[in-house]
Amino acid sequence: MTATETNRQIAMVLDLNKCIGCQTCTVACKKLWNKDTGTGYAYWNNVETLPGAGYPRNWTETGGRTDQGEVKAGSVPNLDEDYGRAWTFNHDEVRARAGEGEQKPWLRPKEKPKWGANWDEDRGEGSYPQDNHYFYLPRLCNHCTHPACLDACPRHAIEKRDEDGIVLVDQDRCHGYRFCVESCPYKKVYFDPQRQVTTKCIFCLPRVEEGVAPACARQCPGRLRFVGYLDDEAGPIWKLVHEFAVALPLHPEFDLGPNVYYVPPMSPPKLDAQGRPTDEPRIPTAYLESLFGKQVHGALRILELERAKRRRGEASELMDLLIAYDWNENFALGERKREVL
Amino acid sequence: MVHKVSLIAAPTGLSPGGYVKKAFADRNAPQTPVAELEVVKGLTGWRIRLEWDCSDPVTSLADDVDRFVDAAAILAPGAPDAPWMSMGAPGKPVEGALWRADREALFGVRAEGLGTVERSDAPAGWSAMADRQAGKWRVSFHAPSWSALDAQQQLAVAVWQGAKGDRGGLKSVSSGWIAVGS
Ligand code: SF4
Ligand code: SF4
Repeated sequence: MTATETNRQIAMVLDLNKCIGCQTCTVACKKLWNKDTGTGYAYWNNVETLPGAGYPRNWTETGGRTDQGEVKAGSVPNLDEDYGRAWTFNHDEVRARAGEGEQKPWLRPKEKPKWGANWDEDRGEGSYPQDNHYFYLPRLCNHCTHPACLDACPRHAIEKRDEDGIVLVDQDRCHGYRFCVESCPYKKVYFDPQRQVTTKCIFCLPRVEEGVAPACARQCPGRLRFVGYLDDEAGPIWKLVHEFAVALPLHPEFDLGPNVYYVPPMSPPKLDAQGRPTDEPRIPTAYLESLFGKQVHGALRILELERAKRRRGEASELMDLLIAYDWNENFALGERKREVL
Repeated sequence: MVHKVSLIAAPTGLSPGGYVKKAFADRNAPQTPVAELEVVKGLTGWRIRLEWDCSDPVTSLADDVDRFVDAAAILAPGAPDAPWMSMGAPGKPVEGALWRADREALFGVRAEGLGTVERSDAPAGWSAMADRQAGKWRVSFHAPSWSALDAQQQLAVAVWQGAKGDRGGLKSVSSGWIAVGS
């Protein structure tokens, strides 16, 4: 693994207890950066329902890393079966049929879709009313401390910036070999078959350089995203990741040092056969451990304790921070040099 | 002069970065074990014909993201002792042309070591005609002038079969420079 410690590292924390799955982040990102016709299928930010197969389908199985963090051969997902091709619609047919007086001609995809970025939305698992459950997982590039994508590129076309740790593809150097797509176990590099180069999240670099948080974070109506530098002890990232230790990386076993962290979702209790609440949460803690590692137990315990404090009317700095009374405090990026949304 | 050239899998252990050398450590056998090479220097310049078996040609990405196209390259040493297997070395370039099945025009290529390949438009007048018959690709390159080949009289070849996942350093190559004579 390439050692890629940088001078500073920007990071994001997402509180999964607050995500409503509205996809505003997905659209904000897509509209801002990713409208090339060759990447119609690609979402630098996507929000998937868990438990579920996600996007691309079964991405955790498409490799790049073993559970011990060792390099293994990954695969490039298939556009139709795994990502889901961007839909094209029968606009002409609908217009013609409406012109002929048909009352409700159907607007529908021309091809029968096989999968998509939000295909298994709200399915989840379990049986109603005992233990049905699901939650939303927004995903973006983790701007890893040891990026598998960078390590995979024989052309040195991927760079991790020293000043903020943002991982970027130099499309002038990229020859479209897609070793980065294969090797990223989070499947957060995308190939553009028209331009024959790869693309990925740039952590809204031009915004960050002007002290403005990425579009996915600023636009989030759930106010669940926090952005700042990992070493800023006065900022929200340090507090959530280090001080309160409630924000955890996704799949730490891949051993890439992800810099996107998640506050794990708490859940109401399962019901027993008589419909009475049990002591067990609906989202199995073992499942959360498979996502966030063993530290999830401690994080959930802290969240429970702090929530209980608030219920008793006591102060809780952690809960106040997560509630985000003043959402500007979610972002600590230094002086803001321009007004933007 | 017609050469039957045995090709080898380019050694993935040389590939820059950690992924390719580990993920493809067992890719020791060439996907294209043999090629036929004919090199003629005539009044109109160099004519170089390269042929290889290919039962499953890929001529376009067809807007898919998991396809790789067929390709072939011919390279000459830009210096007497330019190493082939590492695509040259600093100050000892290799140079030539890259044909890809999804485009008409040739790329010019130049490298001074693995991972340093620079693509550009091929020199003026350079061209390639490709056709596929009886399960074989035949690519006929024409270079009106090629001073590196004139000087060194040596050539090396590389073949990529997209259907077999070949791209970048995953390729079948001649095991060294081939003396072409004139
Ligand atoms: S998440 Fe994937 S694409 Fe992003 S830095 Fe890590 S390895 Fe690279
Ligand atoms: S905008 Fe916020 S609440 Fe909506 S899906 Fe994205 S992360 Fe969740």
